[in-house]
Amino acid sequence: MSVKPDPQHASAPRSTRPARAIVLQVNGEAHELSAPPSWTLLELLRYKLGLTGTKQGCDKGDCGACTVLIDGQPSLSCCTLGVMAEGKQITTIEGVPLRVGRAFDIAGALQCGFCQPGMICSAHALLAREPAPSVGQIRDALSGNLCRCTGYTKIIEAVQLAAGDMGGHADLATEGLRTPVRYGQPADGFLVLGARGRKADSIQKATGEAIYADDIALPRMAHGRILRSPHAHARIKRIDTRAAAALPGVYAVMTGAELPEPFCVIPWTPDETALCIDKVRYVGDGVAAVAAKDEETAIRAMDLIEVEYEVLPAVLDLDAAERAETLVHDTDWKGRPRRDNLCKDVDLAFGEVEPALQASAVTMDATYFYEGNTHAPIEPHCAVAKWSPDGKLTVWSSTQVPHYLHRELGKVLGVPTAEIRVIQPTLGGAFGGKSEPFDLEFCAAWLAKKAGRPVKILYTREEVFYSHRGRHPMEMHIRMGASAEGRLLAVDNDIRIDGGGYHSFGMITSYYAGQILTGPVNFDHYHFRARRFYTNKPCCGPKRGHGSVQPRFAFECGLDELAAQLGMDPIEIRRKNALSGGDVTVNGQLVPSTGLRECLDAVSRMSDWTERHGKLPRGRGLGVACSMYISGTAYPIYPNELPQSGVQLLADRSGRITVFCGASDIGQGSDGMLAYIVAEETGLAPDDIVVHSSDTELTPVDLGAYSSRVTYMVGTAAQEAARSLRDRMRAALAAHWSIAEDRVGVALGFWFDRDDPARQLDTKAVLQIAEAAAGTPLSAVGGYRTRKVGGAYRGGTIGASPAYSTTAHVAEVSVDLETGVVTVEKVWVAHDCGRAINPVMVEGQVEGSVYMGYAEAIMEAQTYDERGLHRGPNLLDYRIPTSVETPDIFTKIIETIDPGGPYGAKEAGEGPLHPIIPAIANAIYDAVGVRLRRIPFTPDVVLATLRAQAPSPA
Amino acid sequence: MLRMDGFDYVAARDPGEAVRLWHAQPDTAYIAGGTDLLPNLKHRFVQATTLVGIADALPRGWARVGGDYEIGAGTRLAELATLQALAPVAQAAGLVASPQLRNMGTLGGNVLLDTRCLFLNQSDFWRKSLGYCLKAEGTWCHVVGGPKTCVATQSSDTVPALMVMGARIRLLGPAGQRELDLNDLFKFNGMDHLKLSAGELLTHVVVPEPAPNFRGSYDKVRTRGSIDFPQLGVAVGLHLAGPGADAPVEALRIVIGAVSPQPKALPGLEAFVGAPLTDAAIEAIAEIAHARTRPQGSVHGDPAWRRHMARVTVARALRRLRDGTEADA
Repeated sequence: MSVKPDPQHASAPRSTRPARAIVLQVNGEAHELSAPPSWTLLELLRYKLGLTGTKQGCDKGDCGACTVLIDGQPSLSCCTLGVMAEGKQITTIEGVPLRVGRAFDIAGALQCGFCQPGMICSAHALLAREPAPSVGQIRDALSGNLCRCTGYTKIIEAVQLAAGDMGGHADLATEGLRTPVRYGQPADGFLVLGARGRKADSIQKATGEAIYADDIALPRMAHGRILRSPHAHARIKRIDTRAAAALPGVYAVMTGAELPEPFCVIPWTPDETALCIDKVRYVGDGVAAVAAKDEETAIRAMDLIEVEYEVLPAVLDLDAAERAETLVHDTDWKGRPRRDNLCKDVDLAFGEVEPALQASAVTMDATYFYEGNTHAPIEPHCAVAKWSPDGKLTVWSSTQVPHYLHRELGKVLGVPTAEIRVIQPTLGGAFGGKSEPFDLEFCAAWLAKKAGRPVKILYTREEVFYSHRGRHPMEMHIRMGASAEGRLLAVDNDIRIDGGGYHSFGMITSYYAGQILTGPVNFDHYHFRARRFYTNKPCCGPKRGHGSVQPRFAFECGLDELAAQLGMDPIEIRRKNALSGGDVTVNGQLVPSTGLRECLDAVSRMSDWTERHGKLPRGRGLGVACSMYISGTAYPIYPNELPQSGVQLLADRSGRITVFCGASDIGQGSDGMLAYIVAEETGLAPDDIVVHSSDTELTPVDLGAYSSRVTYMVGTAAQEAARSLRDRMRAALAAHWSIAEDRVGVALGFWFDRDDPARQLDTKAVLQIAEAAAGTPLSAVGGYRTRKVGGAYRGGTIGASPAYSTTAHVAEVSVDLETGVVTVEKVWVAHDCGRAINPVMVEGQVEGSVYMGYAEAIMEAQTYDERGLHRGPNLLDYRIPTSVETPDIFTKIIETIDPGGPYGAKEAGEGPLHPIIPAIANAIYDAVGVRLRRIPFTPDVVLATLRAQAPSPA
Repeated sequence: MLRMDGFDYVAARDPGEAVRLWHAQPDTAYIAGGTDLLPNLKHRFVQATTLVGIADALPRGWARVGGDYEIGAGTRLAELATLQALAPVAQAAGLVASPQLRNMGTLGGNVLLDTRCLFLNQSDFWRKSLGYCLKAEGTWCHVVGGPKTCVATQSSDTVPALMVMGARIRLLGPAGQRELDLNDLFKFNGMDHLKLSAGELLTHVVVPEPAPNFRGSYDKVRTRGSIDFPQLGVAVGLHLAGPGADAPVEALRIVIGAVSPQPKALPGLEAFVGAPLTDAAIEAIAEIAHARTRPQGSVHGDPAWRRHMARVTVARALRRLRDGTEADA
């Protein structure tokens, strides 16, 4: 073993070894295969044996997604050579008995599902040695399997179910038995909605059946890699790809000049190209791409590409960006020379802030800083592209916006979008991190065209950190004032946003930073300025709670400061200023429904707030915070009169309805939501609804999974389509029975005559009657059409939404006075999502949001050194919480039925993240009396703050 | 995905064969659990043309021989975590990385764990962007800012615990077997922190059976409750003359890990022998820990805070051991 200096050819394998025979015992069968000794067990299982249930998330032992059982022991297949596993009994998810997976399914523990094959292997091994584990044992046993969706809450429940009686569903642990989708009581007056139920695709995920992008293997498929800039800011002087192209096994090489058309998810601001042409703008920016027979050859070819850079000074912080001595972009998206690094400047005033602040009995004035962090879905981005012989392109991509990807592919490649098909396979987590086009999709498509064969590009975990588009660092100078009675009078917020190298959603981010702050706590005078700057760092974008999590931290802490000055209970000040349903906010947004008071009551009661806030021993505290979030942005990203979402139903005489919809199920469960709504209207069981989603050739357009728009907008479209179908079924049945239509009733599984309830037909028969009456296959469509909302001023439609969710949190923390370690003990959440279509999924979204926000408050930070180099782009250095330290989360759903939402439903996926950060900060104040104005609250910072508060002998 | 250089793999059947195979080829490395070596190979700052598989060649499990526990180097960390007779060692083994890695990783691998650094354990692309570092392919230590000293950190959890229990290691080389006090294995050089001869194979760790009045513990400072390497590791081995909290100290060893290339055995503790472990004594010992611990910035966490944590962790461990109270959750 040695350490060799060889900086010339840095990345490429310096040597290879021929394949040799390897015999593996997998799931009880012997497999003889051929591979070099350097192949890991993970690679052999996935790419040689086709056992793609075992997932790859980090490829170096940090995440646990690749967990398999070796001689019964959970082990990481990415850190095991195939040759080391010879002679051992290997069990993959495909060979694990169904019981634990079914328990995950029933408990609602599966969201994106990507971490879960590994998680289920660990859980299965735990139960094999400890049939009745305690919660602590479960947390420990799963602590090497990172999950990014669930907050572990339902996973722990699932393991308990599997250890117990399967929640009364013991029979369901049998192979092949069909499980009813719905297993709880529906809400009053409904057949399906409100019932606790499974997700449509859970069992496929739990058994390793679900196909994610990297599970796709096509004949003759080549593997692509992208050469990335080692410099934060440099001009590209010359690129020579000849040696790379000449390397045997290389099928195609490309550079940015071949795809010069700029793109951006926001059509007004195209400032990116598929690969850099003139300049690189961060360490990791793409400059060239290669497709070859395998990844090793592609990497070797990348090392043969000569890139001559002229290194430029890098802009690495807000002050440098504002000074503008160096420009990240020389021109703007219209080609005009730039004089500054300002990407967007929003300045909006409502009322008279300064006089109101002066008239306030109490004021606060502080600067808060929100550090950047990233989504870290366990599935790395992956795209596969294939051209048909007649020149049509198909791209499978781990995207949460197939429609926008479809548009931008057409634009950049110069291909009519009618000739492009974008398919989103099962997606392994996104959280906003896959909500715009990325270099890999363009490069895979272009390389596939040049190579004349399919091309797959799979990001390494490191590349996921560079592609980023995560939470923007924001510096917020906030001033707030309230009357002596606790009426919030005025808010002024001056925000600087560190955008990174490109625009992404930057314009929207800048508006969201101010526009979504005006509820559920109401105030009269408001001014905000939000300036987003370009810097030479990976580009920030939308992460769960896009643009508004950061100012919410400042605002909710500021409210706590005012309450403390007034000697007022922090819950009381929020109650006193609560918006009511139908109110219009200071910036002109109509809030049709809000349950703030109910949410506050619930968390107050659950946490025993009145008895405990301000009364716990030093070092222990409770904090409250609340928030409001959009249920979809009112307008599409590109202005048009078309429906924002379309649903098509096709009934079959077999008693099945197929739903076609472009909506992206990214683990949140939108496919299930579609099935429940169609079942609700037609009387079919949800099990009899088949959903085909997110395929631009098969499904009507939906704009994608962003801005928490799916349940509200897609749900509305589904409701319209299903009601249309139901009406035709009703009319046909009424004619068949020769009765008035209003006498026809629908129940779950059958239709009946209201005047003679014994007269019944099952739904399948009704579908056949309706099809016969129509004389055509029975189908129906529905859409969500843009509703005109928002303030009547420039920017007044950004941040406007047809409905808003409301959340309140109470967090309980303990602060170790000697070490500065903050432990979040418990979190109580009440979330007003309007109608909970499936409470299990709502809870899952709430728990996952709390987890993600907790992580941002306590440990996560995406930061860069003085070179602009990411400080550890991997899941060991970028620490995301495990099952051990993630707090207990107690969720209460509040159903303030919204007048405009489908059945009154609103969003649940992003709003519940916002309050946890300020709730923790406010709890720390309650515990130890210090205000922390910068995240994350790491122990060194907390301790320093404590010491600054009162000099101690330590 | 990450790609490794090509290498040959040959599995040894016993320690002697492993040593022979190692010497039969140039540029050879042993691989047991592989949990340290494979990520390093993937990060490409380590190369080997032949891997000698020793997972099934090494002795596994333990036996009481005379007054000693002889623990096979092939014992998996998950197994070692059940060896309650050696409480600090079991605690340390149970705190290494994650459950999966403890099922895979061996005691021998953990003892000989390569030094780690934020500027080293990164991809080849990342290190190239950095300009490489002194330990691998470069000429500059980015932690201390100089061309001479590498302070990559000895990050084993089991080593400090084994050291306070007076462990020895048994090594096999072409010339035969030798035994070495674990204290003497390490040196302050992150590039080459082990005093081993080329190809020497660690076969056993020998731990004297603790006296009945022994009390020991291992505490690990880290951000998360799993997976993380230590930001600081504190092992304490305490012998009191009797069962009570006020019994005089007979012997005391404290070793701090994860601060530098070499685990730090605290000096000057003999001054506390013969007297009860009073609060004042504990404060004085904690002060030694603070004074003698100079954490390097090679691992995660503010070095000044980690140094502070040496004081706090030592004091808490001593109080807990003296009073017989349970560790914090």
